[in-house]
Amino acid sequence: MPPKGGFKKKALSDGTSTPLTPSLAVQLSYLHQPRPFKNPNYSKNVNRRAKNLKAVLTQERERERVEREARRLEREHLMKVEPDAASRIPEEVPSYTTVEAPPSVLPHRHLCDITGLEAPYTDPATGLRYHDKSVYEIVKGLSAGIAKDYLSARGVNSVVK
Amino acid sequence: MSEIPALDKDKGPAKVHLLPTTYLPTLPPQAEAYEYHRTAHTPIIIDNGSTNLRWGFGSSSRPNEEPKTFTGPNAIAKYKERKTNKPLLLFGEAIDSESGARGQARTPWEGDVLLNFDALENALDYAFIQLGVDTQTVDHPILMTERLCSPLHSRALTSELMFELYSVPSLTYSIDGVMSFYQNHRTTPLNSPFMSNGLVISFNTASTSVIPILRGKGILSLAKRIPWGASQSSEYLLKLMQLKYPNFPTRVTSTHTNWMFHNFCEVSSDFPSLLRQLQDPLHFRASEVVVQFPFVLPVTEEKTEEELARITERRKEQGKKLQEMAANKRMEKLLQKETDLQYLTSLKESKGTETKKEWMSKLQAENLDSEVALDEIIKKLEGDLKRARKKEAGEVDDGPQEEPSFPLLDVPDLELDEEGIKEKKKQRLLKAGWDARARARREKEREREEKEKEEKKEEDERDQDLGGWSRKLRQEQEALMSKIKERSRRKAALTDRKSAAAQARMKNIASLAADDRVPKAKKRKAGGEDMFGADDADWAIYRKINTAAPSSDEEDDMIQLQIIEQKLLTHDPTFTLQNTHASIATQRSALMSAFRPSYEEGDVEGNARIHLNTERWRVPEAYFSPAMAGVDSAGITEVIQNLIPSFLESRSRPGVLDYLDDRRQVIQNIFLTGQPSLIPGFSTRLETSLKSLLPPDSKVTITRAANPALDAWKGMAAFSRTDEFKSAGCAMTKEEYEEYGGDRVKRWWGGNWNGEIGNSVGGMKVDGENFVIEETMDVDS
Repeated sequence: MPPKGGFKKKALSDGTSTPLTPSLAVQLSYLHQPRPFKNPNYSKNVNRRAKNLKAVLTQERERERVEREARRLEREHLMKVEPDAASRIPEEVPSYTTVEAPPSVLPHRHLCDITGLEAPYTDPATGLRYHDKSVYEIVKGLSAGIAKDYLSARGVNSVVK
Repeated sequence: MSEIPALDKDKGPAKVHLLPTTYLPTLPPQAEAYEYHRTAHTPIIIDNGSTNLRWGFGSSSRPNEEPKTFTGPNAIAKYKERKTNKPLLLFGEAIDSESGARGQARTPWEGDVLLNFDALENALDYAFIQLGVDTQTVDHPILMTERLCSPLHSRALTSELMFELYSVPSLTYSIDGVMSFYQNHRTTPLNSPFMSNGLVISFNTASTSVIPILRGKGILSLAKRIPWGASQSSEYLLKLMQLKYPNFPTRVTSTHTNWMFHNFCEVSSDFPSLLRQLQDPLHFRASEVVVQFPFVLPVTEEKTEEELARITERRKEQGKKLQEMAANKRMEKLLQKETDLQYLTSLKESKGTETKKEWMSKLQAENLDSEVALDEIIKKLEGDLKRARKKEAGEVDDGPQEEPSFPLLDVPDLELDEEGIKEKKKQRLLKAGWDARARARREKEREREEKEKEEKKEEDERDQDLGGWSRKLRQEQEALMSKIKERSRRKAALTDRKSAAAQARMKNIASLAADDRVPKAKKRKAGGEDMFGADDADWAIYRKINTAAPSSDEEDDMIQLQIIEQKLLTHDPTFTLQNTHASIATQRSALMSAFRPSYEEGDVEGNARIHLNTERWRVPEAYFSPAMAGVDSAGITEVIQNLIPSFLESRSRPGVLDYLDDRRQVIQNIFLTGQPSLIPGFSTRLETSLKSLLPPDSKVTITRAANPALDAWKGMAAFSRTDEFKSAGCAMTKEEYEEYGGDRVKRWWGGNWNGEIGNSVGGMKVDGENFVIEETMDVDS
């Protein structure tokens, strides 16, 4: 127990005036409720905390690559032994990376970065798209940082020149 | 098909919505007694969503009763209470009971991936405790959801928890969207085969999945996950709000924008035409939804009348006292002067009576060296006294009226001695000063007269022809304003290196710096002289090239403008404050003020408001084109479009697909599930866009889950009661887990395909039936 907390606790136990009613959070806490169903001999997997999102996804991608390669080899082998069987082997097993939707090939609609209306114009200085003259007045008055924020809302991260 | 209600002008501003008040969490509901389930080993159903965790037994102890679902935000907080210093562990809504706990909240999910297993363990503990499990192990088959094609790392660790920590007998994973579809399409009785067709669009927290279901089986090789979901929408809306209201008084959080997203956003059935409609500021205003954030009115100290009266009284008294004191001082001074004067005059008079020497010594004692000086000082004192008395009498002193005489000036120098010449010089100087003052006075007088005349003339002009007068002044105002505008435009142009103005400036500088500014031919003609400066206008070039110099013209113009505007304001009734330069310069277009209505500086309530207008459609539109929010991915419609060749036979390659009728049904029967599917307009939008993609006359039905949030759990519960579930064709048992590992599953119609037993290293699965479908499909996809 840290010394700060210890001091506090002492002060509280001395205070005899009002009995402490447990706060709502204390009532809702289930820290000390019995958990008989848990295996006491289980020790946590070392991997449990070590991996972040990036590591997990990289591992997944790598594993998938290896699997695909193995499948290709197998198929080639099977083709040699028994040509008819080739079509019976599935090409792809869906995985976390393959189910990802492909990039869009449809043309993007240009929207005003400020108002969200249709944007026929682009400001060459900031790269912001704008709807009309009155919005351009605003665009002209934006500082470089704010203009960058507007761009990043649409996912354009300008390169510092 | 206008989606915007007509603006009712009499109604004033649109309805103002208050932020939802948060209620204190209550104690969790009681599960039914564990007695029955302990022996029945009822399956436990867990829908492990990234926002909400839903759990419960798959069937009730009473046969004809729906099983009870428990639900709560999927987050836990480990927290030390400040008062008692007791460690606490809170789950779900309980986290909101303590502000300090909120900062410690942890969720098992990181976006779309199950990653934080400490949090998962705590959440599962809570679920099992709440269900009343009191045996040494959790002796129930578990049916649990998994994300579409979950990374094997997540699955392996979840399985490990289930089998090793909770020692469950068997574990089945299913995909939530598919199970929601099952719940809405399964046939009664329970055990009849499930053979429905449809395309599930599952709206999740961090992603949206499109999963085709053919003859009751999820075709995951064709499923797609779009990395755009409710959380991204809320973040996008938050970003837009932060940009729209950079100086908002309260902190807007993604919880707020999430609430706005679910309550005020709509999917437009035709986005481009909606945008065109919104170009009209009237429509724009009509489309808005106003959200009122909490605000605190500034406390103004209000004084009672009595207090105010007392304060003015006190002030008055103080003033009086000061005035009295000043008057007293003046009086004293006056008295002093008067006695001085008396003494000096008596001294002067005593000149005759006393001897010259005595008198001179007396004078010397007074610090005077001659009689003249004495006279002077007497005269001065007299003048002072006169003036002071006049002032006292309330008269204003205008200074000496009569011209002093300068007698010596007319006397020729020859008749004067040295003293006299000195005196004459002095008098000449004095006269010059006097004359100059008189001239200035006359000048002033003339100016005043001229001004009066001019004003009179202007007044006459105004009286005769107000229209013409005001036109003239307005023209002047206009000219000044355009001058100011031109100047600011030039200033702006100069900041751009490539602008014409900047280039011209550079040219000027270069020519000034050049040695032979005057061409040689010209030099010879002008006698080889540089004539720069001969004309005053030449110097203007230096003003032109100096961008930093503060322009005095600008100030003059501003003053002139103010005078004109003041005149117009007082005399021309049609010229109001709105016509002044200041208000024109700050004026905003109708569109911009409709986009973000501005409130007065001191309007605390108004400044704590957020106006949602285009954002209401702009944010959900990102489901159809995530690129507009910076996510490079196909939207829902494009993903469906890509699926069409796998479900509709193309004329050029007939005979490739099997179950043609079933396949057609898949693409024509869209099923929406998940919380965001409740946002109005998804069905209409999908129907119109699908009809344009499919052959004419195709019948398209769009249905939404009866309960988009809970149907996945209900479907799983229903499935857990079937014989198919009990036959363990889809569940991994403890033995199988030990044999194959935690990331392996069996392939069944409602679960994932990745990490399938036997297929992982390219081997063939025993059950050939499953392959009939995909084999033929892959040829075309």
